[in-house]
Amino acid sequence: MKQMATARRQGYWDLRAAGNFIGGGTGTGLVLTAALAAAAGHPADLPLAAGLGCVMAGLSLVWLEIGKPWRAFNVFFHPQTSWMTREGILAGPLLAVGAGAFLFHRPELLAAAAVLAAGFLYCQARLLRASRAIPAWSTPMVVPLIVATALAEGSGAFLALTAPAPVMVGFALAAGLAREAFRHLYRRELVRAKAPDGTLAWFSRPEVHVLQAARLASLALLAAALAGQPTAMAGGILAMLAGWGLKAVMVTRAAYTRGARIPRTPVRGRGTSRIVAPS
Amino acid sequence: MNTFAGGGGAASKTVRTFCYNCVSGPDLMTVKVENGIAVNVAPDHSAATIHPGAGRPCVKAYGLLQKTYNPHRILQPMKRTNPKKGRDQDPGFVPISWDEALDIVAARLNDIRARGLQDEAGMPRVAATFGHGGTPASYMGTFPAFLAAWGAVDFSFGSGQGVKCVHSEHLYGELWHRAFTVCADTKLTRYVVSFGSNVEVSGGPSAVRRHADARLRGIKRVQIEPHLSPTGACSAEWVPIKPKTDAAFMLAMLHVLLHEVPRDRLDLPFLRNRTAAPYLVGPDGYYLRDPDGGKPLLWDEAAGRAVPFDTPGVFPALDGTFTVERAVTRGPDDETTPFAQVAARPAFAVLAAEMATCAPEWAAEICDVPAATIRRVAEEFVAHACVGETIEVDGRTLPFRPVAVTLGKTVNNGWGAYECVWARTVLATLVGALEVPGGTLGTTVRLNRPHDNRLLSVKPGEDGFMAANLNPTGRGRWAERPTGRNAHRSLVPIVGNSAWSQALGPTHLAWMFARQAPAEWPEPSLPELWFAFRTNPAISFWDTAQLADTMARLPFVVAFAYTPDETNHMADILLPEATDLESTQLIRVGGTKFVEQHWEHRGWALRQPVVKPAGDTRDFTWISGELARRTGLLEYYNQAINRGAAGTPPLRSDKWDYSLAPQAEHDVDTIWDSICRAATAELSDGTDVKDLAWFKEHGYCVVPFQRQDWYLYPTMVDQGLRFELPYQERLLRVGTELGRRLHEQGIHWWDSQLEEYQAIPAWHDVPGRWVRAVTAAGGDPDDYPFWAVTTKSMPYTTGNNAGIPLMNEAATNLRGHGRVVLNAAAGKRLGIRDGDWVEVSSPTGHTRGQAALVQGCRPDTVVIAGQFSHWATPFAKDLQFPTLNTMVPLSLELTDATGSGADLVRVAVRRVDGPEAQP
Amino acid sequence: MTRWVMIADLRRCVGCQTCTAACKEANGTPPGVQWRRVLDIEAGEYPEVSRVFLPTGCQHCDNPPCQEVCPSGATGKRADGLVTIDYDVCIGCAYCIMACPYEARYKVTEPDWAYGAPTALDQARYDPAMVGVATKCTFCIDRLDAGLKAGLQPGRDPEATPVCVQGCLSGALRFGDLDDPDSDVSRLLAENQWFRMHEQEGTGPGFYYLWDGKRGLI
Repeated sequence: MKQMATARRQGYWDLRAAGNFIGGGTGTGLVLTAALAAAAGHPADLPLAAGLGCVMAGLSLVWLEIGKPWRAFNVFFHPQTSWMTREGILAGPLLAVGAGAFLFHRPELLAAAAVLAAGFLYCQARLLRASRAIPAWSTPMVVPLIVATALAEGSGAFLALTAPAPVMVGFALAAGLAREAFRHLYRRELVRAKAPDGTLAWFSRPEVHVLQAARLASLALLAAALAGQPTAMAGGILAMLAGWGLKAVMVTRAAYTRGARIPRTPVRGRGTSRIVAPS
Repeated sequence: MNTFAGGGGAASKTVRTFCYNCVSGPDLMTVKVENGIAVNVAPDHSAATIHPGAGRPCVKAYGLLQKTYNPHRILQPMKRTNPKKGRDQDPGFVPISWDEALDIVAARLNDIRARGLQDEAGMPRVAATFGHGGTPASYMGTFPAFLAAWGAVDFSFGSGQGVKCVHSEHLYGELWHRAFTVCADTKLTRYVVSFGSNVEVSGGPSAVRRHADARLRGIKRVQIEPHLSPTGACSAEWVPIKPKTDAAFMLAMLHVLLHEVPRDRLDLPFLRNRTAAPYLVGPDGYYLRDPDGGKPLLWDEAAGRAVPFDTPGVFPALDGTFTVERAVTRGPDDETTPFAQVAARPAFAVLAAEMATCAPEWAAEICDVPAATIRRVAEEFVAHACVGETIEVDGRTLPFRPVAVTLGKTVNNGWGAYECVWARTVLATLVGALEVPGGTLGTTVRLNRPHDNRLLSVKPGEDGFMAANLNPTGRGRWAERPTGRNAHRSLVPIVGNSAWSQALGPTHLAWMFARQAPAEWPEPSLPELWFAFRTNPAISFWDTAQLADTMARLPFVVAFAYTPDETNHMADILLPEATDLESTQLIRVGGTKFVEQHWEHRGWALRQPVVKPAGDTRDFTWISGELARRTGLLEYYNQAINRGAAGTPPLRSDKWDYSLAPQAEHDVDTIWDSICRAATAELSDGTDVKDLAWFKEHGYCVVPFQRQDWYLYPTMVDQGLRFELPYQERLLRVGTELGRRLHEQGIHWWDSQLEEYQAIPAWHDVPGRWVRAVTAAGGDPDDYPFWAVTTKSMPYTTGNNAGIPLMNEAATNLRGHGRVVLNAAAGKRLGIRDGDWVEVSSPTGHTRGQAALVQGCRPDTVVIAGQFSHWATPFAKDLQFPTLNTMVPLSLELTDATGSGADLVRVAVRRVDGPEAQP
Repeated sequence: MTRWVMIADLRRCVGCQTCTAACKEANGTPPGVQWRRVLDIEAGEYPEVSRVFLPTGCQHCDNPPCQEVCPSGATGKRADGLVTIDYDVCIGCAYCIMACPYEARYKVTEPDWAYGAPTALDQARYDPAMVGVATKCTFCIDRLDAGLKAGLQPGRDPEATPVCVQGCLSGALRFGDLDDPDSDVSRLLAENQWFRMHEQEGTGPGFYYLWDGKRGLI
């Protein structure tokens, strides 16, 4: 027999926490895109600065969410296993090295910043993956999805901040396609793993359909830009906003707990035990 | 003012006390006090082997801290300033001193006393209502002694008595086996058929522990009920039955036992020797009696002739038809009918014949339960009965019959309840499982005395049965003028006329008749002064809007008040008493008590001030003494205490004297000190006397209570008595007499109730009565396709703690709390999703709540737990929970012969946008 | 060694919530915070339905996911199996709440009172250290440690036993040392069939659910 659903939507992380994944994703995406652009000989100062700003904004938002903000430095105490500590540890060097790259235009600093940004982004993805109360986050495919979405957001934002070079448009389109591929795999993984109904229901919510349409529209606009149409900036902004929406939904709306689960019913007196399947 | 002043000092202390907030108690507990604040409730582990619940109080006890420190408490006496009363009126309560409050009340009382205790209609001018199951008596100190000193008081305005209790069990249970409440011998039983009995919720710690142990021991309990309650959850099997058809199921079980099971599987010796089964029934339905001595006859198979039932050495026949040479029957009004050469059958044979048509296939359609299930349950019942086996208890060999049938509330009150209670008891009788180890047991008596030991209430009566204290129905002896506003003595013979009888009469009739008396009935007179304590009928009864309106017409209401509530909203004076953890009282514990309190000890437990009373609240004993003094009744009051009128033992015996000087005023501690001494003197025959100080330290004092005294059977054997089963000749006679008396007065509105007086109950369309009630109320039954029933959760089993947030929080973990429980498929059909707001409506009222869609509920049934929809009680009034009580009419047509109604109603369910706007 | 564990005998539990209330009172948790809580779960479809009462709370895991993610090190694990939170170190990020598969952890951001405003009772029990940080069932660590210090045996002596266990009406909740083969919990686990929740997560919960005696699987 099937068990009734006991999953509940988590209520502890709100848009401020989602803001960290949004700021961190777009920010690191921008830094990475900027490094790529610089390597290709395109100016990237503004995107770099904006990326660092996004990361800082995200961290500031999460700082507003924690219960003891004046103890925030305790976040560094558990690097052995905590992806949040690791994220925190990388944040400082990322901002410092990024600032150095911006100020001194040293390519090696920019490269270092890109490596730190990649690390920061990876930490964020793994941070979600380690959230075992929330099947929508702890599923393995969340890592490539978060990374790809960040790259799509960052590369999209890049197109809004600079004159769009075809290679950068191509990168944004590739990142967007990767995001879509991983999102598809992510959804399939959740369905297969029998994620909570509340989580799965979000894939068919009207809000999510709008987001989905926005993402697809961004891909179309980017493709059109590659074909010479003046749609790169619009496509990029749309990609960024759609990524933000995806994470806002993922963190605050579709984040249902695993719920309690009994594999068997107890025997009451001379009754029988029944095997229980998840709902 | 520091309203919750601590006791001073930084010391932490642990204080012993008890919780008796519901009839399933009392339960012993401790309270930790730090800096004068009560901070923790915990079990009294010292009582782990004494108290059947292992010294643990239930969830409600943990709410007593929030109860004590509730900021909404009334902390000083109040006087109403708005002469208009009603839900829509602000009472305008203003604080006054205790002196002023008590003087106002005393002046009213003195005026009444000067004019006579009864009014022109013969009704007591003073009325009093106390809540849940007599438990307020454990919190009202010596107030019963004040009432005893006062004289006539009308207790007939109920707060749910008769319709929210297991009413038929109370009345018939006491008649048949001194069983005000009935339970299985859970310690030993092996098979229980439970028709909606929700002991896991309402049986308190004792029942919970005993049943949990029984489950691990391997008991099989089959739970038969429309909605899967926690008790159903904890049973081996759930059988979802259509509401109010339980009698048909049980009659079918009787059919199986009488017509499908070999005779020798029944306990024939028990039936022959310990019941009326062999009594010969004459053609007119009454027992054939010896023309000389008037004793009922039975057929002696050894001698081949009819002999008086108490003839030694006979072998009574159970089956067959016999010709009796000469006999008489005693009909109503002592009419004697002679018979000669008359054919007669033993009552057992009459029973078998009556059950011949009640096969499981017949019941299946009525109950919506497969015939095979009914048959299997009946066969399992017999198979587990161990007929012929014995067990030794306290050195005495007794029959061992580990099967029982238990009944829940809505099975056990209103129409159909007589059939159910009778069938349940006859099922036990057929296999000899009545009042023996493992079987169906009574726990306490309330209509008979003494309350603390039901065995001592057994006295030989007529026809070989226990004496029964029925209200007389004979010509010239019947109470043609009611002595209370619910007319319990006039309408309900079986309820008797003990201290509890009035409150167990048809208590809704008092409210109904206060508005309009039926034809040929004395015009209603309202009591001039009404005391209310720990009761909230404006919420807990039915048709609550009308009832509150009636309450508003009462001219002077004195409410002992904890917080504002819907009932004391109509009060003229509020007297705030020191509550559970703030006042002193000694009560009896142990022996056998309500629900499942089967102790192996008996004695006394003290409730003591754990903390100082909040604000200017006062100990109820102090209030009682002040009222006595101010009404000139001090001497009678003290004498009443000395007599033991405060639920305590007499303070004087031929061996000791702790009595109070009658003329003197005594403070609270002096009174209870004397009571403590007398109580322990009674326990120890004067050899080990404990005072109040001792009790304050130790909490309780008990002595062993022998297990054998859980069972009535040994007493019946010792006194040579028979259980008055299965045939109800006495009830047949009494009902006929009652009908004659009423008809002589021209009263015919009780005629359908008179039909219930049957010697062998026959099935009638019980659920159809509720369907017809829809038509009578002007509705179309097709518009009300659902049954609405109610249920309980442990945090709310008393219903009087709705203002305590902790109870709500704990109960929120239970599915359906504060919601309308609906079968998931039925909800889907109606387009209702979990959490949607729905309106449930009957032809006479409606309620709103959020839907809880579940699987464990019949598709034709909705369930609304507890009693909510408060509009004055702080905290509770903001909960927006639904209630059944606004939808169930106060109705004569739905009142059965015992004066009870059942907690269900036909309803419609529809989705709505949200809660109703508060007026 | 010692490994403190709790047992919930699902055959006994009736969902009365006495443990819930006892825990709330003893630990002074604010409204909505239930370190011990009994879920009311249905399985099956009408009319074949089971209703199961499931006591839950911190499982004091062998490999606590909460500890793994905790960035501050506030969440610790003692040698005797108890998972602890240092309220003076916790930053209240709630990450542990997202990591606990048992939904055992809570965080309140400001003081909250049952009646809206604090009563004398609330004031007596209020601990500001518990605001803004993660909290959860401690297995009544203070009672446990004080009891041990006084020579008492947790699980047997009520004063040294978690309040939910010593208040449990049906005897469903039991507590004791898994490493002591003579403890009640060891005996109960040896004599009965049990499961642990979300066993596949590899958390090694210290909370066992009994569902039947040792007889053939049905």
